[in-house]
Amino acid sequence: MGDLRRGSGREIVIQIFLDSLTNLRLQGRRTVLALFGVCIGCAAVVALLNIGSNAADESMRAFKDLGSNSVVASFFLREGSRKPGPANLDSRALKKAVPAIEYVSPLTLHSTRISYQGRTVEASVVGTNSEISSILSLRIPKGRFLSSIDGSSTYVVVGASLAEDLGRPGRPLRVGDRLPIEGYLFEVIGIVEAIAQNPVIPVAADQSLFIPIHGMRRIKSLPEINSAVALVSDVSMLEGAATDFKSYLSEAAPGHEVEVQIPKHLLDGLSRQAKMFSRLLAGLGGIALLMGGAGIMNVMLMSVAERRREIGVRMAIGARSQDIRNMFLVEVVALTSIGAMAGVVIGVLVSYVFVLHSGWDFSLSPASLPLGVGSALIVGVISGLYPAFVAAQLEPVQALRDE
Amino acid sequence: MSGSQYQRHQIEIDEVFHTFQLDGQPLPILKGVSLQIERGESCAILGSSGSGKSTLLNIIGLLDQAVSGSYWLNGHDVGKLTNSMRADLRNRLIGFVFQNFNLLPRLNALDNVALPLQYRGLSLQKSRLRAQHTMESVGLGDRLHHRPADLSGGQRQRVAIARALVGEPELILADEPTGNLDSESAQDIMSLLLGLNDLRAVTLVMVTHDLTIAKQLKRCLYVRDGHVTESRNLVGDI
Repeated sequence: MGDLRRGSGREIVIQIFLDSLTNLRLQGRRTVLALFGVCIGCAAVVALLNIGSNAADESMRAFKDLGSNSVVASFFLREGSRKPGPANLDSRALKKAVPAIEYVSPLTLHSTRISYQGRTVEASVVGTNSEISSILSLRIPKGRFLSSIDGSSTYVVVGASLAEDLGRPGRPLRVGDRLPIEGYLFEVIGIVEAIAQNPVIPVAADQSLFIPIHGMRRIKSLPEINSAVALVSDVSMLEGAATDFKSYLSEAAPGHEVEVQIPKHLLDGLSRQAKMFSRLLAGLGGIALLMGGAGIMNVMLMSVAERRREIGVRMAIGARSQDIRNMFLVEVVALTSIGAMAGVVIGVLVSYVFVLHSGWDFSLSPASLPLGVGSALIVGVISGLYPAFVAAQLEPVQALRDE
Repeated sequence: MSGSQYQRHQIEIDEVFHTFQLDGQPLPILKGVSLQIERGESCAILGSSGSGKSTLLNIIGLLDQAVSGSYWLNGHDVGKLTNSMRADLRNRLIGFVFQNFNLLPRLNALDNVALPLQYRGLSLQKSRLRAQHTMESVGLGDRLHHRPADLSGGQRQRVAIARALVGEPELILADEPTGNLDSESAQDIMSLLLGLNDLRAVTLVMVTHDLTIAKQLKRCLYVRDGHVTESRNLVGDI
């Protein structure tokens, strides 16, 4: 049979490809229907992956400022105990006891109302030390933050939105102004730049008045530390430092329970949740894609049924079973590729509009494009395999007999 | 391919049986058919409806396979060929002309004619060039880009003949090629097919109901009750 072998394999491949494209073009509405299914499925995968990724990024963003090496301790009065909590923390002694800790700040909180320039606003007074500035990464564009030598002076650093609320048009709050807090006048020595609230630390920096912790005695008769925040120099020492931090604080606050939170654990948990959420959305997109695949299979099976006579004619003039199979497979691959490309564009556009509409920052999930196109191609080819094999297994005489 | 006595004939069929399944029961169509056709012969196959003449043509054309018996085509033992080899033989050796033309409606006349060459592995450009020459040889040089729907019955059959001829086959199998044509177009198509048989020595095997057409061929085979007989006196036999 050597004399019967065909010429160039490359020519046959090109021929099958061109033939398939022509068939797709000539099938018109059916091609559009199949394209639509793949396109929507792929767009769903790409859009949901991007929306999931952006939603995860957005939820993580709020926690990112906390840093992955901080530890937050809270004090709770033990049942039956009446001992007051500590009014301050010896940060130098604490750092000596727990060398892994680089910065530590006690936090004593008090809610109050401030009346200034005819305006009254709710504010949170935070008695703390200068190290909170490093822990929270506060920026002070105007003035300065509290320092270790401020001691019990009547200085205050004002949060950004509180400073805005306390100012008037044409007369904003300035460094050097004096704010009345619980009957005492505190001099504004700095105004903090706006910063997103850290959900783990019980301090909303934008709405807070930071005063030296020693000054809290002017505001509360028996000030007690509510919590303490520490920054560990090396994240690998986080667990050990947290344990030592807890032990130290438990000794420093008899009669109180100390609970230590490691935000990294929270971040890890959030990251896991975000990944799960993304997977869930990708799964939903995958279901949409499967529906698209079922659509392709339907359309291709209809196409095979309607083109039985054509298949018979092609076989009669020399097409082999594999030529017929390849013709349908190439058709489905071409269809799926075009649908996937369109789906990627639509998916990215939809996710972009959704993310912008939600007020988030858009970032393209790098995995979304290969996953979207890849899964669409896989689903398309798998969906097209059965119709292609059905077509290839037709006997020429049966196919030709079909009316 | 092993050489044998069968290589003397282009078509050598021996004791071929074929059945159809009807409601799960085998219905014998061909019952031990034997025949030989030489290269360059023209041969009509006659018979009443359902007699099995088209089935015989399909077996000769490798579109169908006999249940039993042997069939040699151009020295190839067809029973031993794979589907792929049979497709290759159809492509290289045989040209089909059907009663209802069987052109692909979505392709224009030129691409319909070029299709067998593309399955042979020729480039689209070369296939179209050869298809164009063949279209011109059957008098349709001015209808290259017409779709089948835009052509008359006679023109469609000419396109079908051009498609059968484009691969320069040794055997043309025609199943009632004039059945859907008016008498003028029918005679036109017959002249074309007989001319090919005469001038190019292409073997022509044609299934027909029409005695006047059958008489124009050198041999007439009559299929009756699953058997084939050589018919010398057409009118008397039918």
